[in-house]
Amino acid sequence: MLWIGLVAAAIVIVAVNGALIYAMRRFRAERGAAPRPAAGGRRLQFRVAAALTVFAAAIFVLSVVFTDKAQQTPTTGADGLASAKVEPLTIKATGQQWLWRYDYPNGAFSYYKLVVPVDTAVELELVSTDVVHTWDVDELAGKRDAVPGKVNTILFRADEEGVYDGQSATLSGQAYAAMRTEVDVVSPQAYREFLASQEEEIESAQERVVGLIENGEVP
Amino acid sequence: MSDAARAELVVDGFPGRRRPRWVELATSADHKDIGRILIGGSLGFLFIALIELLLMRLQLAIPENSFLSPVAFNRMLSDYGATAVFLFALPLALGLFYYVAPLQVGARGTALPRLGQIGVAMFAAGATVLYGAFLFTPSEAGVNPLAPLSELAFLSNNGVDVWATATGLVTLGFVLLAVDLLTTLRRMRAPGMAWRRVPVFSWAAAVSCWLMLVIGPVLLAALTMLMIDRNYDGIFFADGSGGAPLLWQHLSWIFFSGAYMLILVFALGTIAEIVAAFSGRPLQGRGVTMGSLAAIAVLGTLAWMQNMMTAPIGIGWMYFAMLMSLALIVPFGLVIFNLLSTLVGGALRMRAPLLFAFGAISAISIGLGAEIEQSMVGAAWQLKNTTDATAATHFALVGGAVFGGFAALHYWFPKMTGRTMGESLARISFWTMFAGVLVAFVPLFFAGAEQGQVIDAYKYFDGAGVDVYNLIASIGVLVLAIGIVLTLANAISSRVHGPEAGHDPWGGESLEWFALSPPEPHNFDVLPDVRSARPLRDIRTAIANRTQRPEQPARETQPVA
Repeated sequence: MLWIGLVAAAIVIVAVNGALIYAMRRFRAERGAAPRPAAGGRRLQFRVAAALTVFAAAIFVLSVVFTDKAQQTPTTGADGLASAKVEPLTIKATGQQWLWRYDYPNGAFSYYKLVVPVDTAVELELVSTDVVHTWDVDELAGKRDAVPGKVNTILFRADEEGVYDGQSATLSGQAYAAMRTEVDVVSPQAYREFLASQEEEIESAQERVVGLIENGEVP
Repeated sequence: MSDAARAELVVDGFPGRRRPRWVELATSADHKDIGRILIGGSLGFLFIALIELLLMRLQLAIPENSFLSPVAFNRMLSDYGATAVFLFALPLALGLFYYVAPLQVGARGTALPRLGQIGVAMFAAGATVLYGAFLFTPSEAGVNPLAPLSELAFLSNNGVDVWATATGLVTLGFVLLAVDLLTTLRRMRAPGMAWRRVPVFSWAAAVSCWLMLVIGPVLLAALTMLMIDRNYDGIFFADGSGGAPLLWQHLSWIFFSGAYMLILVFALGTIAEIVAAFSGRPLQGRGVTMGSLAAIAVLGTLAWMQNMMTAPIGIGWMYFAMLMSLALIVPFGLVIFNLLSTLVGGALRMRAPLLFAFGAISAISIGLGAEIEQSMVGAAWQLKNTTDATAATHFALVGGAVFGGFAALHYWFPKMTGRTMGESLARISFWTMFAGVLVAFVPLFFAGAEQGQVIDAYKYFDGAGVDVYNLIASIGVLVLAIGIVLTLANAISSRVHGPEAGHDPWGGESLEWFALSPPEPHNFDVLPDVRSARPLRDIRTAIANRTQRPEQPARETQPVA
């Protein structure tokens, strides 16, 4: 829907600047132009106001239509994750200075990198533990803010496998520019494998810590 | 003191006016002195804001630059925002209103001069606090310090306290100035000057004062809550314990959206005066233009949630913000239509004020054109917080405050100083600035809309596809800065060396051109009865009629330059 705004902006900019250039070239006193008596009256003003109202209303209606289309919940396709056919796959994304953490349904989690299955409806629940962050992976979805105490959601479906770079889009302190993220879109099989290995690694890491504590190496 | 010594102090019948000139100026309650302090001060802060912008653009000229540390960049950013809005754009607009509007409506002073005096003192105090902070810690929280980043838990040094104190003092000063000026405009107009005969610039002043009376206290309330949060364990903007981080966004965006509109109302009011004076014909659709300026102030402020399209607010509120933003097309369109249709068909004298007015209309049209896209809900999800937004805002506000402000400066400079600003330097400055603003901000549209480069970041990464755009933008800001400095230098040198102007160098039609240049402390010895919206033209016609011979009846209908 970017083109609607682009066309509207182009109309405004060309009309105004065209008239400015025309006035500047054609109506110069030193080139002998004489002021014409004022043309038009109340009727002209009404017509211009009506034309502007139609212009603004057209943009408004088109925006609502296209925004509604963008808002529709995407459905999981044939190549997608079977378990997300009815309800979208829900993943919690937590913004914290200056990292994104992703919690998957089975308890596994990952930092920085979000892995999602291809052709699957994904609902990202954005929360924040500290300040306002904005999750921004513009090739997959629009931006949304993670505000402490609130849950904001993004729905999207990635149609092609690949790696998508993302970033944060609200000033969040010193390392704001470096607070980036990455979305790996993989096949459902690879997604399940990733979850399993992530779970295993987290468990083994936890066991290691527990072991260290039991050995007395960690106070 | 003996009687003899007292007698010695009497000069011209007034006792004791022997203090240095700067003391006289700083302690004056005359609206012209206060206006001059605000205008001069704001132009000085324009120079400082430019240095800060240049330093940030130098950091962003190449990818992954390490010229400024992240903390230094964030401090630059915070001070640039506060300086550009609170110490340059708003005081320049209010200063010009405060100087010119009482003259335009034929008042011999302002209604509540003490308030004006306190107002300008608070402006000076706020500016001192903001820049005094360089001795310890400036704010790091950005142009609009969003809670909870601005809370004590996340920025524990005094930076945000300083920012809040400085902007609070300045805003309170603006509110006091607005009270004084509004009272003057309502109660002290010359006999016969009904609201429909008030010059468009003075009408813009009244609209802006009302607007400041609405938005100023909103920001003051938000700042008070922030200070309580930071210093007395408050919970207004803290999550949990019943606070709401989004509350800060609502309150602060009401102020910033209103301030944005105030600057545009100021610019359009200025341009309306200049267009009428330099095209040789009256402004077309005067009443509609005046009504539209009021509508801009109301609708623009109601569109505050246009800045919160990605926040967790309901989709209905987003549509409300979009409706208010797009509704602005009608009043903005009507004002600009009337300006353009006055120009087309006129006999234009392309002097410096008109040239800057052209630049202002052009830049504002680009900025507001781009804002249409920023207001469309679905598109805003893509474009918010990208450099596309930076570019749109800068086109509109550089167009309004810098080009519009400079148009006003060139137009009323002869009235303030008795001298005209150098014309050829003004032309060089204008074309440099105009080239600069295009080169600086057009590439940022592409970087934001095409590549999604985010705002406020102290660096961008190699391979993001925005290297060239940023380099060009940095060069453009340098060109823009050179152009602006030329006009500042022109103003400084023309105060002493400019060609002398009489009381009415442009053939103006409103009452300020009836006063001397610079005006006497009491503005006018006598005032004409106002019988139309163009009182000076009426006087010229009357004189022409009295001196003409009976066989020249044609001159009656022609304007006398």
